[in-house]
Amino acid sequence: MLTFQKVRSLLFYLSLFLFFAGLPFILLFALGYKFDPQAFKLVKTGLIYIKTQPEGATIYLNNKLVPVKTPSSIRDLLPGSYKIRLELARHYPWKGELSVEAGKVIRLDKIILFPLIPDMEQLNQEKFSLFRLDAESGLIYYLNQKNGVVYRSSLEGSNFEDIASLPENFPQVSGWKVAPDKSKLFIFSPRQIAVVFFEGADNYEYPDTPVFLDYPREKIIQVYWHSDSYHLVTITNKHIGVIESRPGAVAVGLVELGNENTETYYDDKRDTLYFSDSQRNVDGTMYKDLYRLKLNTDLYLLERLIGKKPNELLPSGGEAIKKEGPGE
Amino acid sequence: MNFCLPAGKRSKRKARVNKGKILKRAFEIIPGGLSWGIILSLIFLSVVYPVASAIIIITFDFYWIIRTVYLTTLLIMAHQRLYREKNKDWLNRCLDLPKEKNCVRLYQLVIFPVYNEGPEVLRPSLAALKATHYPKDKIIVAMSFEERNKQAHDNALILEKEFGQEFGAYLSTFHPDGLAGESRTKGANSTWAAKAAKEYIDGRKIAYENVLVSCFDADTCVEPEYFGCLNYHFLTSDKPHQASYQPMPVYNNNIWQAPSFARLVEISGSFCQLIESMRLEKFVTFSSHSMSFKTLVEVDYWPVDMISDDSVIYWKAFLHYNGDYRVVPLYITVSMDVAYSTNIWRTMVVQYKQKRRWAWGVENFPFVAAGFLKNRNIPLIRKLRRSFHLLESHVTWAVWAVILVLIGPLPILFGGAFFSSMSIAYNLPKITGLLFNFTLLTSITWIFLSWTILPERPRGFGWLKNILLVLEWAFLPLLILVLGSTPALDAQTRLMLARYMEFNPTLKGNKVL
Repeated sequence: MLTFQKVRSLLFYLSLFLFFAGLPFILLFALGYKFDPQAFKLVKTGLIYIKTQPEGATIYLNNKLVPVKTPSSIRDLLPGSYKIRLELARHYPWKGELSVEAGKVIRLDKIILFPLIPDMEQLNQEKFSLFRLDAESGLIYYLNQKNGVVYRSSLEGSNFEDIASLPENFPQVSGWKVAPDKSKLFIFSPRQIAVVFFEGADNYEYPDTPVFLDYPREKIIQVYWHSDSYHLVTITNKHIGVIESRPGAVAVGLVELGNENTETYYDDKRDTLYFSDSQRNVDGTMYKDLYRLKLNTDLYLLERLIGKKPNELLPSGGEAIKKEGPGE
Repeated sequence: MNFCLPAGKRSKRKARVNKGKILKRAFEIIPGGLSWGIILSLIFLSVVYPVASAIIIITFDFYWIIRTVYLTTLLIMAHQRLYREKNKDWLNRCLDLPKEKNCVRLYQLVIFPVYNEGPEVLRPSLAALKATHYPKDKIIVAMSFEERNKQAHDNALILEKEFGQEFGAYLSTFHPDGLAGESRTKGANSTWAAKAAKEYIDGRKIAYENVLVSCFDADTCVEPEYFGCLNYHFLTSDKPHQASYQPMPVYNNNIWQAPSFARLVEISGSFCQLIESMRLEKFVTFSSHSMSFKTLVEVDYWPVDMISDDSVIYWKAFLHYNGDYRVVPLYITVSMDVAYSTNIWRTMVVQYKQKRRWAWGVENFPFVAAGFLKNRNIPLIRKLRRSFHLLESHVTWAVWAVILVLIGPLPILFGGAFFSSMSIAYNLPKITGLLFNFTLLTSITWIFLSWTILPERPRGFGWLKNILLVLEWAFLPLLILVLGSTPALDAQTRLMLARYMEFNPTLKGNKVL
């Protein structure tokens, strides 16, 4: 046991020595100090941490090769200015000039080295004039106005297929959007909306597609799909309204607009429309207010409104709700 | 008898009692106060001065690396010693001693304090005792049941029938509940049994010097050579009556049946005890242990109102012999049950409570500190060293996992942009990472050693179980988080706030609880 105790004592004092001898070095290292043998004193240094995307880039510090690749840190740098160059085969190099401070770390951890030959490929297999990307569903929709065909493909361009035909003689398309249920789209011009159903979609109710919705007295500025994929929210130069996507549907004006230069944003997650409208102050000057119009909570209200009589058909002179702005 | 004292003396005595109470409370507050002080100071520093906090954390991390390597080396040494000595033919070695030593003159008094353990737990313990290579006529067994347990008398009868004739004497005692000055502790029960055994020993006119007493937990199974080993060390020790004899506790009884989590905790516990056995100047009795009956009587038995009776008995003897008392490690194992339950959550609770009870050993500090103040014969430097060891071990237990796991990342979290731009902020996680790599290295050593102390794999357990025994070490971080410091911090906080713990025995058994 004595021998064991002697060995143990030796170990204990060795550990004690290691702790007290090693601790100053560890703390000085942690605080960024290094020993300068020429000046024979401790100097406080800084460090640069470099991380690139992709990794493995060669580092040049003041045009001298650093024997490590990214991600890594360059330690023991005396305070001052340093030129950094990062090189990776078949990628654009990155260059920069940095000022290193004592006891500080510079983190270059958001560097992207872009490839010389971009990773690019053509996705469409047919000509088109407009496209929409639905990242959630992983689909791309293409619209060829000239031959009136709608195509669809995956995000990689695969499964490229012809899914619908646009109505003949439809005037210039001002805008278009695929319905949330992915079974149809609308296109619109200033005076008309056409709802086109995709091939293979269940469309037993309205076999004579497309469905045309005419706005002879108002100019259509913007159209959105309601999340039910049935109602359309329309913004014209006079009103904000809703209309069903069925033949002979009657548009309902929800809000009367004071100005046709309205800006709109439709939050399709919450079925809420944000729009601005101009108002005239008592002194005759114009100002803008931003409004929020909820269309989600009470679809029943929407249906009740739509269920009202044809005298509310906006193009023929229906009466819309009038806003009251804070400035009035 | 205060009324007999003159008024002046009465008030002086009252003042002394009050002073003693205040001192005791102060000593009770010190460990918890220190632990919380360290933790809260580091949190405060992390928020207001993260650089200072980072420096302290790095210092602690480095200390912990050195300490872990040092302790693992001690573990290897202790393990080697255990491996070499556990299979020795101790009784024959004992008999080879000079005749005047007369090895087998010694009686072995074995006390089993029983709480509510039934025959299914006690039977294997007594069977192991029966299987020892020591003359059975020299073994006195004292089974000490708690009177308040309604099954006690029935259990006593069952065991008496089975083992009553197997030993030199077999005593069944029943410790009454609520004796004046007693708490419901194991120590009170053991003391009751020891006093009952004393009557038997006195009746047989056996000299106390010739009796060694072993106080075993109810589930303790001894090795066949245990008493040979004990006798050998007793007879070859210098001042043998001024020493306790500590076997190495392992939890092998049901280790193959126990869930990974519990097994891991108990193996770590056994290893800690092995490490402690190498640090003789700090070594204190723990759980099942043996000592001279003469000494036990002289120090007035185990404490009857303290939970950690197994360690307090050492300190009582230490104070009684003015510091000339030590613990001799016996490199022979005593096997106990792993405490576990029906699911991992319950097992965690069982383990947590057991560890908190062990951590309640912090009550030794006020006991020892008060004892040191009264004792003028122990050298001051010795008092300071032992007090420091005791305090340091408990405070370290309560803070180490908190510092490593919870406080380590705080300077980065609270340091803000300015601290993040400093070299030390960059280096702090690197150094902490290094610490975990070192911990991993030592864990591999621990995994290997844990294999070597396992009992033979019982039938019905496939070789896959061996693989599981390695993989279960992946639970180590969870173990550190749940059982690393919190039970100790809990116990110290209770002591600090005078919310004294009651004895809460770990329910043992070979079956799940």
